[in-house]
Amino acid sequence: MGRLYAVEIVYRGIFQKNLAKNISRAIVLAAHKEGKPGISFGRYGDSPERNGIPAKAFAIVATDEQTLEEGMAKYEPTQVDVSICVDDTLFKGVESWAWYGLQPINKLVKPGGTLIVTSLEEPAALAEMAHRKEAPYQLAVIKAQPSFSGLWVYKDDHTDVRILGAIARVCPELFSLASVQEVIRKDTKDELKATSALRSFERVTTYEVQPTQGNPEEPYKFEMPKWHEMRDGIAIPSIAPGHKMKDPITGTEGGFQPARNPTFKKYATRTMRPVVDFDKCIKCTLCWLACPDSCFDVTPENLYDANLEACCGCGVCEAVCPEPNCVTMVNETHFSDNSSQWQAYRKDAEGYKANLASLIATRPERSHGFRFRGQYEEQVPAIIQAAEAEQQKQTQA
Amino acid sequence: MATTDRELAELTHHKAPHKLDLFKGVKKLPLEEYFTSGHRTCQGCESALVMKLMVKAAGPRTIVLGSTGCMYVANTTYYSTSWVVPWMHTQLGSSGAAALGAAAALKALMRKGKFKDEPINVIAFCGDGGGADMGISGISATLTHPDYNCLILMYDNESYANTDIQLSGSTPYGAHTTFSPPGKTKRIMHHRWKKNFAAMMAAGHPTCKYVATVCMSYPVHAMNAVRKGLSIGGPTFIHSLDPCPKGWDYDPMLSHELGELAVLTGTWPLYEVENGVVKLIGKTRDIADGRVKRLPVRDYLLKQGRFAHFTDDDIDYFQSKVDEMWNKWVVPGVIPFQKHLDEDRPPA
Amino acid sequence: MAEAIITPHVEEPKKKAPAQGDETSLITGSEAIAVACQLADVDVITAYPIRPYDTVMQYVAKLVANGEMDCEYIVAEGEHSQFEIVKHASACGARVFTGSSGVGWMYAMECLTVTPSLRIPMIAMVGNRALDDPKIPSRAKVDAFLPRYDRKDLLLHPDNPITVAPQANEDWLMEIRRGTAAAMERSAGVIREAYADFERIFGRKYGNPFFEEYMTDDADVVLVGMGTLSNPVRVAIRQMREEGKKVGFVRLRWFRPFPAEELAKSLGRFKAVGVIDRDFSLGSPYHSGVVATEVRTALYQSENRPQVVGFICGLGGREVTLPDVRKMSEIVSQAASGKPQPATQWIGLRE
Repeated sequence: MGRLYAVEIVYRGIFQKNLAKNISRAIVLAAHKEGKPGISFGRYGDSPERNGIPAKAFAIVATDEQTLEEGMAKYEPTQVDVSICVDDTLFKGVESWAWYGLQPINKLVKPGGTLIVTSLEEPAALAEMAHRKEAPYQLAVIKAQPSFSGLWVYKDDHTDVRILGAIARVCPELFSLASVQEVIRKDTKDELKATSALRSFERVTTYEVQPTQGNPEEPYKFEMPKWHEMRDGIAIPSIAPGHKMKDPITGTEGGFQPARNPTFKKYATRTMRPVVDFDKCIKCTLCWLACPDSCFDVTPENLYDANLEACCGCGVCEAVCPEPNCVTMVNETHFSDNSSQWQAYRKDAEGYKANLASLIATRPERSHGFRFRGQYEEQVPAIIQAAEAEQQKQTQA
Repeated sequence: MATTDRELAELTHHKAPHKLDLFKGVKKLPLEEYFTSGHRTCQGCESALVMKLMVKAAGPRTIVLGSTGCMYVANTTYYSTSWVVPWMHTQLGSSGAAALGAAAALKALMRKGKFKDEPINVIAFCGDGGGADMGISGISATLTHPDYNCLILMYDNESYANTDIQLSGSTPYGAHTTFSPPGKTKRIMHHRWKKNFAAMMAAGHPTCKYVATVCMSYPVHAMNAVRKGLSIGGPTFIHSLDPCPKGWDYDPMLSHELGELAVLTGTWPLYEVENGVVKLIGKTRDIADGRVKRLPVRDYLLKQGRFAHFTDDDIDYFQSKVDEMWNKWVVPGVIPFQKHLDEDRPPA
Repeated sequence: MAEAIITPHVEEPKKKAPAQGDETSLITGSEAIAVACQLADVDVITAYPIRPYDTVMQYVAKLVANGEMDCEYIVAEGEHSQFEIVKHASACGARVFTGSSGVGWMYAMECLTVTPSLRIPMIAMVGNRALDDPKIPSRAKVDAFLPRYDRKDLLLHPDNPITVAPQANEDWLMEIRRGTAAAMERSAGVIREAYADFERIFGRKYGNPFFEEYMTDDADVVLVGMGTLSNPVRVAIRQMREEGKKVGFVRLRWFRPFPAEELAKSLGRFKAVGVIDRDFSLGSPYHSGVVATEVRTALYQSENRPQVVGFICGLGGREVTLPDVRKMSEIVSQAASGKPQPATQWIGLRE
């Protein structure tokens, strides 16, 4: 039997659908240039995709057809040589919309394999964000803001080719830089994109992750019942009615906390999280009312606390809030838990506010897809330039 | 002597509807949620918000029946649910039948003393595919049954959004969908104009006492429409326009704003037809009365990736069709009857 | 023929004195079904015109109009809605009845793909043509026979908040199907119990619930069929018996659950079997009707496997005549005597 290569691409549903497709397709084409057959496909269970909800695409390549057939004999590979994560917030875990539980981002990376990520974070911080893994693996960081666009208008900011260049570097036996550049030139007729792949090939930084590093938490899991344990009639119990909330300091009860779906939490969908300045809140109710995910708990004093197990980070709350900097979407990577902001505020208002100010000051520019026609054309040159600069800085360091 | 409504009600053992008071403002809304977190919809899903506010308005004594679509597949992915109230799936084109079946069962069982006699709301929802396309015959039939109290709500995200955005009879002219991609020789693949569904239901069903258009960017009106629909008696219909970040291609944060723009550009007029009386609502009324100037549709269209391929001619044409709704229709924004005919000239 | 039937099969009248409180009347099978709905205290009924099913609903409409039946009688706008209306009514706790004929069933079929897994009892008749003189049992007996319809924890009601029929993906579908299969496996026992109860309460005995046998004890060959066939077949068999031909008849009452083992055991006694299908399944094994395919499948595991000849006849309501039956018996007898016969033959066809 020959050698089999499996590559997965973990991406944000819809926002990065076209990006993931470009990458997995080019992997197969580049390997094909070197005589290796392959196939690229999206994970069936992720279809239909939902904005932001993690999804996966795969590229399976082999040195010969028979080996490829062996690799294709299962829906989804159990191990991959290279895993590509096109949004660093996915390092917190991957909860697909179609199944149950949270998977560590590095779950399929085989011992000694490589996890490529586009991020502005430091490798050590990224390693800590991901779940702990028994065997060492390699992180390859492409310094760039994660690229998001939508279903119809693609933001062609070179993220795809940059990742392809990095693959040629970390897994040269899959395909060479020359092969992938050839594919890029043929597909895009854009020499600048071939150059971007080269830059990334030269400058991608790698980092060895040890078994001692990473989030030690057991990821949230769901045991699937056996057929005779399931209720007849395809019926399941409804969600319970909610209950009042209790102030952690005074013990006062009031407000309302809805009960929530216990088997799907949705927080792995989030790339930014809302933070609330409770002192600025005018209790207009709009964030609570307009939230499609019913994520706001109403406190006894009628403040609105974004429940971070339920929040998927859409940002509607910030958009509808009439008070400046009262509800603000900030960088999700700065948090390591989903605890209540209101409880933190009640216990230490000053500390909470100081932290809030720093979170707001360092929040990234929002990049969640299309806002107006011409936006990407305006943004892309600056993005490419900034990514160049970041990578150069990295190489010099 | 003609039969009075009351006599007719007695003849058909008509059941009194649930009387629900109207909300006086956002601060008076109940805190309780009957559709809650953990559904698997997109970030910024406005249709999920429809579900939440619909049952918040209806309250806990409600049975909800949902036909196939995003609000079935994503909200109720087996072994989990986000519903607090009882909920049941119905087939794609069957929201009308589902509402009728549940309302008929409750009516029969309560009349025969098999169930406690009490007001229980029945709401069936469908998307634009399940409603305006496949479900129209069933919905239409249900709206002709005066003796069953039920509300049918169509959440219209202007495509078959669950199956990855195929065009429906409710997709606006020219929009990019997976069945209408702008191509090299055909820029506009979708030449059909969106069905004027709510008005069609109102105009064609004299037994239906309440029809409304809503948008969750105006939540109190939407929730009161649900309450009116459930309180007035007989079958009623609500058509909600739901911005869809996935299919319309925009930053999910802008869901609320796009709903507002749909109304403020006059593309989506808010109105209700109550016992045959047409009433424009809120900003739509302000536009009609000249208190608020209609925004150009360009402000709405160019914020959505699905219209990114539009030329200025396409935008002008879209604008002209919206202008026609306001300037030429006998009932502006509602009923597309005109006193004289102008030639339709879509751009080449 | 129809005797207060609420399953899609027909019964032979019993020639004995009516039990006390019962009443004999000369009505059509369709009317008998309407009366059965009345006696069963059906809560929600849906109607849609298609021959001959609609004749039942015409009788129901009269019962409702005359105040003889208390139910929600809904004229739907198509078969799909008919079936969805009663599905949801049943989910909400109502006893329901509906039905259709021919292509109407095809139009309703989408609804029927989901209903069994939801464990929603729904009586839906397949309208065929039948006429006879049934006895109408008393209301008291019907009440004693029929349990109160109680969905227990499957009731869709605010007092029992459940989510019914969420979308099931590949992680769940097999387990759900297996659960439904288990219920179907149990149903044979339930059917036997119901027939025993029926006999006890109404004093009418049908023998084996799953199929009945006519003059099979000493038969060399048998014809097998289901539905509205038995009248001409029986008459023809009596004629042939007078001529010394040992022909019998096996009539299936239940198609699902299919009584495979029991039927195979019974059919194994004969030299050859002719299966009369009033249906046809394009491209099926041996280009047969559906009953022939099922019978062959049932016999495959059996030690004794008589030759099976399939007959297609009486399609579209065409009459199955006595000569037709005699011809089929003759072909089966030929097969029994070792002369090979085509697997499927069309009878009563202009050719």
